[in-house]
Amino acid sequence: MNSLSYWAVLFVASVRNIFTHKLKSAVVGLLMCFGTGLVVTGTALLDSMEDSMSKSITSSLAGHLQVYSAEAKDELALFGGMMMGREDIGRIANFEDLERVAEQVENVRAIVPMGIDIASITGGNETDRVADTLRTAVAARDQAQIDLLRLQLSLMADALRSEFEAKQAITADKEALAADLQNLDRLQSDAFWLSLSDDPELAIQFIETKIAPMSSDGLIVYLRYVGTDLDEFTKNFERFEIVKGEAVPAGHRGFLFAEKFYEDHVKHKVARDLDRIHRQVHEEEKTIAEDALLRTKVGQMSRQYRRISFQLRPDDAQNLTSELRTMMPEVRAKDGAEPSLEVLLQAFLEVNDQNLDERYAYFYESIAPKIELYKIKVGDVMTIRAYTRSGYLKAVNTKVYGTFNFRGLERSDLAAAANLMDIVTFRDLYGLMSETRREELEQIREEVGAAEIDRQNAEDTLFGGSGQSLVAAPEDTAGFDEFRGQDLAGIREDLAEAYNQRFDAETVARGVALNAAVVLEDPDRLDETKAALQAAFDRSGQPMKVVDWQTASGIVGQFIIVIRLVLYVAIFIIFLVALVIINNTMVMATMERTTEIGTLRAMGAQRSTVMTMFLFETVVLGLLAGVAGALGGALFVTWLGHVGIPAGNQDTLIFLFGGPRMYPAFGLANLAVGLVSILVVSLVSTLYPARLATRIPPVVAMQAKD
Amino acid sequence: MAPIVRIENVVKEYPLGNLVVRALQGVDLSIDRGEFTTIAGPSGSGKTTLLNLIGCVDVPTSGVVEIDGDSTSKLHDKELTRLRLHKIGFIFQSFNLVSVLDLFQNVEFPLLLQGGLTKKERELRVRDMVDKVGLTPQLRQRPNELSGGQRQRVAIARALVTKPKLVLADEPTANLDSVTGLAIIELMREMNAKESTTFIFSTHDPKVMEHASRIVHIVDGRIHSDERTDFLSSPLAETGGRAEAQAAP
Ligand SMILES: Nc1ncnc2c1ncn2[C@@H]1O[C@H](COP(=O)(O)OP(=O)(O)OP(=O)(O)O)[C@@H](O)[C@H]1O
Ligand SMILES: [Mg+2]
Repeated sequence: MNSLSYWAVLFVASVRNIFTHKLKSAVVGLLMCFGTGLVVTGTALLDSMEDSMSKSITSSLAGHLQVYSAEAKDELALFGGMMMGREDIGRIANFEDLERVAEQVENVRAIVPMGIDIASITGGNETDRVADTLRTAVAARDQAQIDLLRLQLSLMADALRSEFEAKQAITADKEALAADLQNLDRLQSDAFWLSLSDDPELAIQFIETKIAPMSSDGLIVYLRYVGTDLDEFTKNFERFEIVKGEAVPAGHRGFLFAEKFYEDHVKHKVARDLDRIHRQVHEEEKTIAEDALLRTKVGQMSRQYRRISFQLRPDDAQNLTSELRTMMPEVRAKDGAEPSLEVLLQAFLEVNDQNLDERYAYFYESIAPKIELYKIKVGDVMTIRAYTRSGYLKAVNTKVYGTFNFRGLERSDLAAAANLMDIVTFRDLYGLMSETRREELEQIREEVGAAEIDRQNAEDTLFGGSGQSLVAAPEDTAGFDEFRGQDLAGIREDLAEAYNQRFDAETVARGVALNAAVVLEDPDRLDETKAALQAAFDRSGQPMKVVDWQTASGIVGQFIIVIRLVLYVAIFIIFLVALVIINNTMVMATMERTTEIGTLRAMGAQRSTVMTMFLFETVVLGLLAGVAGALGGALFVTWLGHVGIPAGNQDTLIFLFGGPRMYPAFGLANLAVGLVSILVVSLVSTLYPARLATRIPPVVAMQAKD
Repeated sequence: MAPIVRIENVVKEYPLGNLVVRALQGVDLSIDRGEFTTIAGPSGSGKTTLLNLIGCVDVPTSGVVEIDGDSTSKLHDKELTRLRLHKIGFIFQSFNLVSVLDLFQNVEFPLLLQGGLTKKERELRVRDMVDKVGLTPQLRQRPNELSGGQRQRVAIARALVTKPKLVLADEPTANLDSVTGLAIIELMREMNAKESTTFIFSTHDPKVMEHASRIVHIVDGRIHSDERTDFLSSPLAETGGRAEAQAAP
């Protein structure tokens, strides 16, 4: 047995060797130090990110676990997956059955039914809106209003004409342009306005079909929505908060826009651009003068002036013209004459760093109230359309109650990727019917003589059979096309007015959902509860898939895995390089020490002693460098934890960071992983040179001449 | 009692490209305990080769090398190492001290490899040995703070601290000036007398040779002559000791 002193002297020799061979130690030490720092920092950041992201996902949409049909063809991807939101995840025939099972499982706080789909909403363009108002005015025989609208339409026609005239020189389709100009002439003719009293509908339809398409400010927005039990959703997703309007009252059908989606897609284009410019100047400390991109944005915005002028009523337009003239006396028309409203608006929107704040304020104070700031306002009833599974276009009306946010994720598009709707309306839109509605339909169908369709075929027939293709549903008939060929006018009415209907809790529970979010009491026991839940469903004879939030969130959830993978690969490569460098350095150092090692061997040191010396050296150096690196990494992470890492405008980052900034922290595990991995790397990299050293024969001691 | 070293018809060949160099071509030699033998001969005659075989750092191509009764050709690396540790001390031409250890640690090192002694016993042994080579004041100095003569004296202390039966020295004076070299030989002679340790050293310096009690001459890998001088002390010993003292104040 070797004495303690034996080990002590080997240890002392090793430590002294480290400090004697300075260059070697510096190279190897720095590599180890850097490696450890990297591992500590990297894993700490990842852990923090995973933690933040888990909070983002679990508290915004996913819950801790998601349940969906075991018969699903695709995997559930809450935040969008490869199928762009049209994954076939099967369906849960009766949510109530699911709920009953889940509630028995320990640690389950709540289970919330969901149905996710893509739909489109449309808001007509300005001309459409004026035409609509005109229709009401004609019906009410409000001549003053009609005159006002005629003036507005005439101004619009002027604007369009000047645009077309400019276009005439460059367009290829001269015929179409000529037809458009002719139509504009007709709109401004007295004859047209006289015809309004003869056949108002024909005249208004002329405006809607011939004039409206000329200006391209229509709105078709595609959106993702989650049909859910809104009460339960609000209760169980703590980050949920109403921003505009109000929550959908219990038992009401209704729609809530994600605030960011509403601001980015439904708000008036000019207001949106102005907001963005204002935000970039104030929050990102950019200046219009210096930032070329921002300058381009200002240019683009100023060319959108017609989006304002078209929306102004003639009297508002007049007032605004004189106000803007006073505000910007230097602005003249090209020929030096008094500038028109359009010239003025364009100049007004040509903001710079000096006048941005003033104009921003003026815009919201004096212009915004006179235009449609949002195409769809809180309180409006809008038509929402979606293709059913079988490819038919289906539409329902729904009332917009307000907008919502997930706290901390206000700026994240991903968090705002889904809007919310009550699940009953979702079922209507998705082509899923409650039992009562199915019965109603059945009855009506019998009445209209469709009795030969048996019950099994009922749904196929209603929602489009397999033989009918997607193109069979013309998009422009914004109706309820799955009812085509059958006189179901009653149901059509029924569905169009459905947004007014109430429902009770039972209707919510007793019906179809696509998936369900499970919120846990104690998220730390996720794996355990997941298994328990899976077992419970298996026992109950309802084949369900239970997945954790990470899996359920689709690409986003996998993102962290990808980052982790990238980090590990990077660390692996760095360690591999370090390994090679350490190995080479040590081999060179071994060569230099051939005589010393040979001498020790000649004196009677066994190979194991030589090996021990080498390993001691590496371990001591590894520990010194590793501790330094770990401390460095920990300090760095602590510093980051103080100042926070800004997510900037990077949407994914906001989501991953769980907010606009991430404040990372490190744990003992990170330090341990860092130290252990560097020790392993240094030991592995020493094995070869150490083995080489043990092979040095004692004879070399005799040959040494210096 | 059997001789400490017994060599019988030893041949050592080194491969050199396609050729084979016969460094030793049939050597018979027997050395008794307590002898102070020098191996002399011109450069390339095979002195180092012979010492390597006796020192168990190499094995013969053919023939027998027996150290204290053990034939080395049958032993594995581990056993050869153990044999070196317990029976042989080495003094090298270039001193070969461990540069990161101080004088005390260098001398102590073989004892640590051997194990078996308490810290106190070890310290006594080391101090005694260092005192014998006259380096007590330098006990905590590192090799690079010592002169060549002092270093070789540390090496002698290190070789002798385990009380080996046999001490081998391959040209121990070659890296020293002649006065210091003679002092080193004198010190070895003294140790040989006091500890009755067998010494075998090589040299081609005739002045150094004179101090040996037996001179084995080899030429071209063969023993050319083998003479006992029975020369026990030399007046040079006294002057050499003084000269060394002057050379390294
Ligand atoms: N490792 C080796 N490989 C090949 N040839 C060797 C080796 N070692 C020694 N020789 C050869 O063996 C012969 C004897 O060498 P050795 O070193 O034993 O001589 P020496 O008497 O010690 O010489 P010197 O006085 O120069 O030290 C020489 O010809 C030498 O070239
Ligand atoms: Mg030699």
